[in-house]
Amino acid sequence: MYWISTGLIFRRVTSPFHELDPRVKLLVSIELFSLAIMADTVVEVSLLFASILSLAVLSRILRRLGRTVAFSAVFAGIIFVLNVIASRPLIESVVLASRFIAIVAATSGFFLTTSPDELEYVMRWFRLPRDIVFAFVTAVRFVPVMMMDALQIMDAQKSRGLELEKGNIFARIRKFVPILVPLVVSAVVRSGELAEAMESRAYGVTNKPTSLFELSLRSRDIFVIALSLLLFILSVLYFSA
Amino acid sequence: MIKFESVSFTHLGGTTVLSDVSLEIAPGELLAIVGANGAGKTTLAKHTNGLLKPTRGIVTVFDLDTRKASVAELSRHVGIVFQNADHQLFSETVEDEIVFGLRNLGFDDDVVKKRLEWALSFFELNRYRNVAPLLLSGGEKKRLCIACVLAWDPEAIILDEPTVGQDYAQKEKLEQMIRMLLTRGRSVIVVSHDIEFVWSLQPRVIVMAGGRILADGLADQIFTNTDLLEKANVRRPHLVELSELIDPKPEKPFHTVHDALHWIVHQLRR
Repeated sequence: MYWISTGLIFRRVTSPFHELDPRVKLLVSIELFSLAIMADTVVEVSLLFASILSLAVLSRILRRLGRTVAFSAVFAGIIFVLNVIASRPLIESVVLASRFIAIVAATSGFFLTTSPDELEYVMRWFRLPRDIVFAFVTAVRFVPVMMMDALQIMDAQKSRGLELEKGNIFARIRKFVPILVPLVVSAVVRSGELAEAMESRAYGVTNKPTSLFELSLRSRDIFVIALSLLLFILSVLYFSA
Repeated sequence: MIKFESVSFTHLGGTTVLSDVSLEIAPGELLAIVGANGAGKTTLAKHTNGLLKPTRGIVTVFDLDTRKASVAELSRHVGIVFQNADHQLFSETVEDEIVFGLRNLGFDDDVVKKRLEWALSFFELNRYRNVAPLLLSGGEKKRLCIACVLAWDPEAIILDEPTVGQDYAQKEKLEQMIRMLLTRGRSVIVVSHDIEFVWSLQPRVIVMAGGRILADGLADQIFTNTDLLEKANVRRPHLVELSELIDPKPEKPFHTVHDALHWIVHQLRR
């Protein structure tokens, strides 16, 4: 659990990809996501994985992305089995399951390389309502906190003799009640405290608060946009041929 | 008996949080673990009931090797009360909350009833027995968490930051409860930043820093060693500071506020 949770959390790393403008990282992620939806042969999926892998190495997130992929592989396995049961050909089932992993990898690649602050700048750049931006970014920021809470709650309940891994599927689901109730309660309490703290710091007084940082594209960002668009168009042409 | 033999623990990410820790905790012993944040105190505590398994070395808890025994098996011997009460409470009533651990550990109905009544009366929770735990005050929640663990009468109890959010009266009650447990032959391990509380208990003290045990000794020896405390980033108790202000090398520092008051009154009368 701890191992997987660390694969979902942003960590500041020095890499050429991390240094890019967050809008460029979003563009690359959307391109990979779109290609993952379009890929329907083994060669296309392999090419897509090679691109994601190269980007992960370049961004120094390979290990953490690997954890996310390992986690999504469980669901990919279910997709594979369901397709086999639905009597789809084996290769097609493998491609469909791999597509799912590629979609997860493309999305989590963006979140692993983009800080919650950068995410906020991007959303503001899209002129989304301030409250929605704040709610979304806070939710992203709280993922690691909730993960740590969940781990602590699990430790506390296991110390009271709760054995999560014993019993049939229904018994196991029921055993999650002692974990979910404190988790939800602490999240609600925390959100209430956060709301009070934000109000005490004048949140909502003005509709247009000033910003210390503004997004601006540099030459390397423009170069990456051009290169990624070129590769994306070539891939789309190849995939549809 | 809880025994750590050259225990090290490294997270999957590669961070080492315990390094070569060796330690023995005897039945009926009162031990305090102190150290700065990230010193490895809670990690050490989590090894005693198998929540964490050592990456190197052996932890034995009442002759059970923690690598081979389950958390539930070990928890029957070592009860841990975690710092955050809100992380532990989930039942509809206080009664259900106390019974949860007893049922998990497979106690008979008669024993469950008996232990429930004992816990409710000892922790003065009788009038709340049908109240939702989440509606209790901070101090009551903390008391309930301790009651939930003591209900199955483990041989050793670990209290992780027991004084957080507790007022003076609650701290006194906590101290009384610890003394009662010791008279019943239970080992009590207190993990705390509250140096004044630890000093009032006068336990055996372990000082941790960087995942290692820097010192192991009686409170008098540990809290008068300024160099050691500076190294571990631990503050001296106020009563030790007061004793040293009066006499730079006190024969015996004041253990309680009452001792200090007694001395001051005595001096004034002279």
